[in-house]
Amino acid sequence: MSSTTPSANERPLLDVHDLRVRFTLLDGTVFAVNGVSLHLERGETLGLVGESGSGKSVTSLALMRLLPPQPAANVSGEIVFDGRDLASLPERQMRAMRGRDLAMVFQDPMTSLNPVLRIGEQIEETIRAHRDVDGATAKARAAELLRLVGIADPERQLERYPHEFSGGMRQRVMIAMALALEPKLLIADEPTTALDVTIQAQVLELLKKLTTERGTAVILITHDLGVVARMTRRVAVMYAGKIVESAPTADLFASPTHPYTVGLLHSVPRLEGEVGLLRPIEGSPPDLRTEPTGCPFAPRCAWRLDVCWGRMPDLDPVAAGDGDHRVACHNPVTPGEVGLARPDRDGFEPAPAPSAVA
Amino acid sequence: MITNGSLLAMRDIRVHFPITKGLFLRRHVGVVRAVDGVDLEVRAGQSVGLVGESGSGKTTLGRAVVALTRPTGGTITFDGRDVWSLDRDEQTKLRRRVQMVFQDPHASLDPRMTVAASISEPLEIHHLGSRSDRKRRVGELLELVGLHPSHGGRYPHELSGGQRQRVGVARALSLGPELIVADEPVSALDVSIQAQIVNLLQKLRRELGLTSILIAHDLAVVRQVSDAIAVMYLGRIVEWANAQDLYREPLHPYTVALLSAVPIPDPVIEATRERIVLRGDVPSPASPPPGCAFHTRCWLRDKLGNPERCSAETPALRTLRSGHLVACHFAEDGREAEARIDPESRSSEPS
Repeated sequence: MSSTTPSANERPLLDVHDLRVRFTLLDGTVFAVNGVSLHLERGETLGLVGESGSGKSVTSLALMRLLPPQPAANVSGEIVFDGRDLASLPERQMRAMRGRDLAMVFQDPMTSLNPVLRIGEQIEETIRAHRDVDGATAKARAAELLRLVGIADPERQLERYPHEFSGGMRQRVMIAMALALEPKLLIADEPTTALDVTIQAQVLELLKKLTTERGTAVILITHDLGVVARMTRRVAVMYAGKIVESAPTADLFASPTHPYTVGLLHSVPRLEGEVGLLRPIEGSPPDLRTEPTGCPFAPRCAWRLDVCWGRMPDLDPVAAGDGDHRVACHNPVTPGEVGLARPDRDGFEPAPAPSAVA
Repeated sequence: MITNGSLLAMRDIRVHFPITKGLFLRRHVGVVRAVDGVDLEVRAGQSVGLVGESGSGKTTLGRAVVALTRPTGGTITFDGRDVWSLDRDEQTKLRRRVQMVFQDPHASLDPRMTVAASISEPLEIHHLGSRSDRKRRVGELLELVGLHPSHGGRYPHELSGGQRQRVGVARALSLGPELIVADEPVSALDVSIQAQIVNLLQKLRRELGLTSILIAHDLAVVRQVSDAIAVMYLGRIVEWANAQDLYREPLHPYTVALLSAVPIPDPVIEATRERIVLRGDVPSPASPPPGCAFHTRCWLRDKLGNPERCSAETPALRTLRSGHLVACHFAEDGREAEARIDPESRSSEPS
């Protein structure tokens, strides 16, 4: 099990501190990531959950240093990977690490594969960019990788183009390419969202098997709490560019503490149990074009206090001494309130917005 | 499944699309059997879910119901009348009674029309009410779907995804239809917003007594709103049951696998549950496998030692229990086989 304060001799594989990303547009600034800190042990699988605009994808692109340069994207913070701060690494060194030490699988394999190159050329290119091998060796390795991800008759498939593959097969190819150089960290951004559910099951199983066998650490970015439950050991919930709750996966589902996490869990229709009315989170996600003041969830929150409008809470341990389960909330949900999905306190009313008071 | 007194009855519906080659001399080189012989009945007030993966034909079938696609075979009867044998006038009247909600409200609303204009457009097309009547109706509809009257003056790009889908629903309701076909109405939305729209659909059903067909790939969403569910695979219905029975006791091996593949948002269940992972992809509807279209991926057929019947004979949809129909030669063996399936073909990984 992971610990938030690792001892000096066993530093985490990845330690991100106060990551911030802002995009400068012609008509303003988008505050996409607003101080994200997270860590990942070797071989660990971390789920990064959130809805559109929560900053989960931008966070992953920042880790890979794949965001546009200044002044379009303004990135600050520390990204210590395997003892090196990626944020200050020269691009040439970063380039050598991408693919070899940390690799990425994207949501839509059709747009991340080159449509005019054969599958084989693309996998071999990845291998030869980092390893000094001849063509025949690269080709043999590519075929081996395809076989590994469950593609039958790999020698023949290497000669085909991406459009000749189904969505599930294309995603298998992406996984093969990402794992080609046995990276220490794999970032998978909604890897199965574009796939049908029976194909999703195949791809998730493959991902789990391969990363477990190799001890690859995984950051799995998803909006699907079911995928989180199936695949991850620890999970961080994002909202408006902040991590609002992080915990071992079992803890998060058993005792969610942030009002947003509770709302999310109540929003998901279930396959089991009684069919009742869902309890959605009212309102809409915040506009990221204004600099956040206070807790970004406050306008939709039934638990909000006056302080929530003005000050963003820190991501602190839920219980003293338990560094694993952390929540950024001034007024956390109590265990008794989780099932109700609303505050259960005599006379409690959510604090009105400051403008409404004035 | 065929009974009297249904609002909508489809019999042996086929929708085949030609595959052509060549720009000028278009030659037919094949046919996509998007829907290939579907019987479906929907009673007044019933809410039917149509589930299936890509290429199952669920969307094409939905489009055939609202007469956006003309079936190449079979008959569709709405309220006792054959839809495609009506004259133009009567067809127009019929269209008022059947409306559709589309998946992507961003693409289905005209970006240059205000919300109010979009909602009242169907009323204008059908020459219903005076200008002030229509205005009042738009106000009522906005309220019904949970929008503020001021939203009427806005343009689609000024709304969030959830609000846009509410407009899509209001537009479909403007003519006071009896049947609504909703094609993936929530799949483009975020989870927290999705729940708002699912609740809206439930509320409308309750308050307006609407008959509806919900087309979706998400089995949990369908479960939330449907009384009866049809599971489709490669253009055919493979299982039909009331919602409770289908989830509690799926009988077609495809349905069993489909349900077991859905990730459940509960790590305790996920850690102990057993999954059937189907091999391979869904075959192309341009060349569906002979016999039972599912036989190439069927785990039950494996268990039974690959009986020849599966690849030779197309199974008919037959009643296995009251109100529970299955198109599988060996569905009776399925429950039993599932119970004593050997561990290798299943995967359950405690994490």
